[in-house]
Amino acid sequence: MGSKSLSRVDRITYFLLTIVGLISASFIVFISIFIALKGVLPFLTDNLGLGSVSLFKFLTQTVWLNGPTFVSTAYGAGFLIVNTLYIAFLSLLISFPIGVLTALFIAKIAPKKIAGILRTIIELLSAIPSIVYGLVGVGFFLPIIYSLARSLGYSSSGGSGTLATVFVLALMSIPTITSISEVSIRSVDQSIEHASLALGATFTQTRFKITLLAAKSGIFSGAILAIGRSLGEATAVSLVAGNARSGPTFGLFDITSTITSTMLTGLKETQGIDYDIRFSLGIVLMVVILLTNMILNYIKKKVGNVHA
Amino acid sequence: MRNKTRLSDILLNGFVYLATSLSVLALGLIFFYVFTEGKDLLSLDLIRGNYHSRNYVATLPQSSNDSFNLQPTEQTFAIERFGLILEQSENLAGDSVIRVVYVADDSPFSQLVLQETGNEVVSLKEGMIMMRIAYENHPTSLTSRGAAAMAADLNDPDRVVREVMFAQVGGGIRGSIITTVYLIGLTLMMALPLGVLSAIFFNEFAPRNMITKTMRTFTETLTGVPSIIFGLLGITVFVPLTIRITPASGSNLIAGAMTLAVILLPTIIRTTEEALKVVPADHRFASLALGANKTQTVFKVVLPQAIPGILTATFLGIGRIIGESAALIFVLGAAIKDSVNIYQPSTSLAVHIWAMMTDEPANVALSSTIAIIILMIVLVMNLSIKGVVSLMIKKGRA
Repeated sequence: MGSKSLSRVDRITYFLLTIVGLISASFIVFISIFIALKGVLPFLTDNLGLGSVSLFKFLTQTVWLNGPTFVSTAYGAGFLIVNTLYIAFLSLLISFPIGVLTALFIAKIAPKKIAGILRTIIELLSAIPSIVYGLVGVGFFLPIIYSLARSLGYSSSGGSGTLATVFVLALMSIPTITSISEVSIRSVDQSIEHASLALGATFTQTRFKITLLAAKSGIFSGAILAIGRSLGEATAVSLVAGNARSGPTFGLFDITSTITSTMLTGLKETQGIDYDIRFSLGIVLMVVILLTNMILNYIKKKVGNVHA
Repeated sequence: MRNKTRLSDILLNGFVYLATSLSVLALGLIFFYVFTEGKDLLSLDLIRGNYHSRNYVATLPQSSNDSFNLQPTEQTFAIERFGLILEQSENLAGDSVIRVVYVADDSPFSQLVLQETGNEVVSLKEGMIMMRIAYENHPTSLTSRGAAAMAADLNDPDRVVREVMFAQVGGGIRGSIITTVYLIGLTLMMALPLGVLSAIFFNEFAPRNMITKTMRTFTETLTGVPSIIFGLLGITVFVPLTIRITPASGSNLIAGAMTLAVILLPTIIRTTEEALKVVPADHRFASLALGANKTQTVFKVVLPQAIPGILTATFLGIGRIIGESAALIFVLGAAIKDSVNIYQPSTSLAVHIWAMMTDEPANVALSSTIAIIILMIVLVMNLSIKGVVSLMIKKGRA
């Protein structure tokens, strides 16, 4: 479809549509440039006399600003990165087995009608907005975790903290993992399953040792997507995390905070360092998500090739 | 050996069933929790009402001795002299209050004058709370003495009303509903043309080269960006932009809609493109062979066939707009408003929940009621998509 074969009207249309396409493609560039520009400000300027932030301290220490007039621990990114990754992977530990096994049931075991109903349920779960998950987390999980912590002899801040965040994120991740795993499990070549059955393996053995293994590339993709969502989730997390101002937090009943939940706190400032530092955290979040995705995709390639 | 296999099979199968029931339970839990917590508040008053309560102090200009014909029930108290019916009731906090059940159309209480300004007319409406009524030379009727006593005082022909204090109860979500509707309208107005035209560009016009490929990658990358990052885009680009070209002076609804439009863009482009792809190439060739140029072919032959896809994208988009919270908290603010202006901050339904849940103490009941409304809309959107898809399949067969 070269532009030579086009009439004059078509050339105008082509030109206008190219502009529209360029606009659509430009937003990601805008995001990168503007957030980067704002995000580096705290490191370059002296922040209206507060002293400039040292990048090394920002990433590694809790006291990130040590100016002549002001010492702050509020936005040290190091512990936030640790907390965020810790929570995301713990939640995957719950959502991954549940999600994959549900997918196996829908794709291979359930009768057609039940499979259809379950698929609708999973679709609905993935359509529920995250704020509703956060609400259920606060109203339902927090009291349970609070009494659980009390009966185990731990003190907890009304139940909010690592465990509550992990539960909410796990609940949110299940539909993502299930729907993607289900597609890849369904598309496994049936002849290898038949071969396994013909060799005397039971249905269950075949499902676990042949089907799941053959679908593992797709299953892994689902897990990567779920991790990405967990790392970037903000409002639901901010409701149940407890918004700790220091860390890192590893205790399940201790209050915690993630990169996103910290970005949502203290919204009242509209300028100055407390405002700009949120963009620095935005950069940190994007880098964490990109790096995690790259590492997981690398692992997927390494382990995925055996059976492909 | 046999037994061992059977045992492990049973165990593994058990895990599968357990996992599936947990997934189903999750959905059940969410719906059950939200409905049990929120159903009590679900009413038309909630949808029509203001969020912030407001107290009025007013005077009664016309004194009436008409005898209104009223039919009170056993629990309500009629004031024939003024055409009012009162009821003893409780507010959300559990305090006892006197609620206005009925105001006659020509009741003097529908023509009250606000004492603050001295000329503004306010009317007592059904559902409002009567707080106290002061009289000339007589003791005041107070909430603490109950509705029966207040009704008896008002019916006393010797008493002349000096001052009425009443309140509009808060806790309604009209403002947030209006904001959400505005957001849906404005966002779709921007996102649909941009997304559909981009899809046409990518699918019908774009040359197959590196530049197109890069542009495509750029638009698809938006899918993986967390919504809080879009919020940052909103406050650095869209809020300053709207401040410059509109009367807005800070976070505002238009900037919120712009941000949402960017969030929806990749979904609209992908869904529309998929619909364009299934239009048979023969239709394009036939149109071109008849002498139509490419522009006519695309817009008059190809695009109409992609309408179900665009409709699906619209429904998906509405669901996303209603659920979005993180980005809007940055761009639109988290201050709950009763009067909505597109140049000012306000809250969508989802942000309304967030604002109440981060408040001390958190209002779980009202949040759950809003969550019911959100879930219902999301459910309807999902069913609509299914309807559109099944319509498409039927049409394809015919």
